[in-house]
Amino acid sequence: MKNESTIIDVPAESSSAMKGKAPLIGVASGSGGYKRGLSIFDFLLRLAAIIAASVAAGTMFTSDETLPFFTQFLQFEAGYDDLPTYQFFVIAMSIVSGYLVLSLPISVVTIVRPLATAPRLLLLVLDTAALAFNMAAASSAAAISYLAHNGNQNTNWLPICQQFGDFCLKSSGAVVSSFVAVVFFTILVVLSGVALKRH
Amino acid sequence: MKSGQAEIMETSKGIQKSGLMSRRIAILEFILRIVAFFNTITSTILMATTNETLPFFTQFIRFHAEYSDLPALTFFVVANAVVSGYLILSLPLAFVHIVKSKTQNSRILLIILDVAMLGLVTAGASSAAAIVYLAHKGNNNTNWFSICQQFNSFCERISGSLIGSFIAVVLLILLILLSAIALSRRH
Repeated sequence: MKNESTIIDVPAESSSAMKGKAPLIGVASGSGGYKRGLSIFDFLLRLAAIIAASVAAGTMFTSDETLPFFTQFLQFEAGYDDLPTYQFFVIAMSIVSGYLVLSLPISVVTIVRPLATAPRLLLLVLDTAALAFNMAAASSAAAISYLAHNGNQNTNWLPICQQFGDFCLKSSGAVVSSFVAVVFFTILVVLSGVALKRH
Repeated sequence: MKSGQAEIMETSKGIQKSGLMSRRIAILEFILRIVAFFNTITSTILMATTNETLPFFTQFIRFHAEYSDLPALTFFVVANAVVSGYLILSLPLAFVHIVKSKTQNSRILLIILDVAMLGLVTAGASSAAAIVYLAHKGNNNTNWFSICQQFNSFCERISGSLIGSFIAVVLLILLILLSAIALSRRH
């Protein structure tokens, strides 16, 4: 006799496999979309930071000024290489701009594969190091700029900006541009951190 | 059914192992925070207690040096004090990360604050380093004389207090890295 049963035997593996697969697909398309948006924003910010960092390096590099008169005793030329801190600034900003250009492909990888965590983690670490480096260059140059503008009475350091107005203006502008790049880096790091979140 | 059970057991062992790894990361973070706190508070105290008076005097030259004579050093003291205050206040949050398992949103908050504090402490340490370098070497082109030739112990003290601050910079970078790794893990 045929045993007609109305009980349907569902094998255990297939049901757990189906339960396991469906939510993954659902989550993938959902969070992949907003993570891709974050990656695109990251890429655009990187482009802006490249502009800020290279403008800072370039402005400081070309900030030479020669005053039109001369005497035997006083210096009438000022350039970024007169101050070792400004030399460090130019070198550091060039390294930071170079790093940003080299990190553009990794950013493109995070756009193409929004769910991969390894490129984002790498970008976060390198961006944090570059942020610290950029901030170091910017703030040491800012300290020297402040000194050049105001001098210091306690140590008898005279402000040189009264003689070299153009040089001071350009070097201060380069420092400001460098701080703008620092702000961009901060946003980039936070963005990578938010995009790393697993749902 | 047996293979299903084996899968479940393997998955739960995997969860236990990665839970243990997350806990280790959180404990390491807690320890690094304490070490960074000690570094920044030491730097603050060392810089704030600089005070040197040379034993002779004339009418024209100054013979007293302390940290408030140079604005960059004042900024260094303030920045390091703020960062050490932040580090001690973030210790309870780091402790919660050790105990609790679903910590993603508070970790993001911690990353944001850590990045801000990294910027602040790096700014303080670098500007003080630029001024300390100038105090040691002077600058011929701008006629800025090195004051270290007169004020030896002041100079040594301000140079030494920079070390703790730079170590704290490295530790903060490591903390951000650890938070990011913990965020990107499955649990």
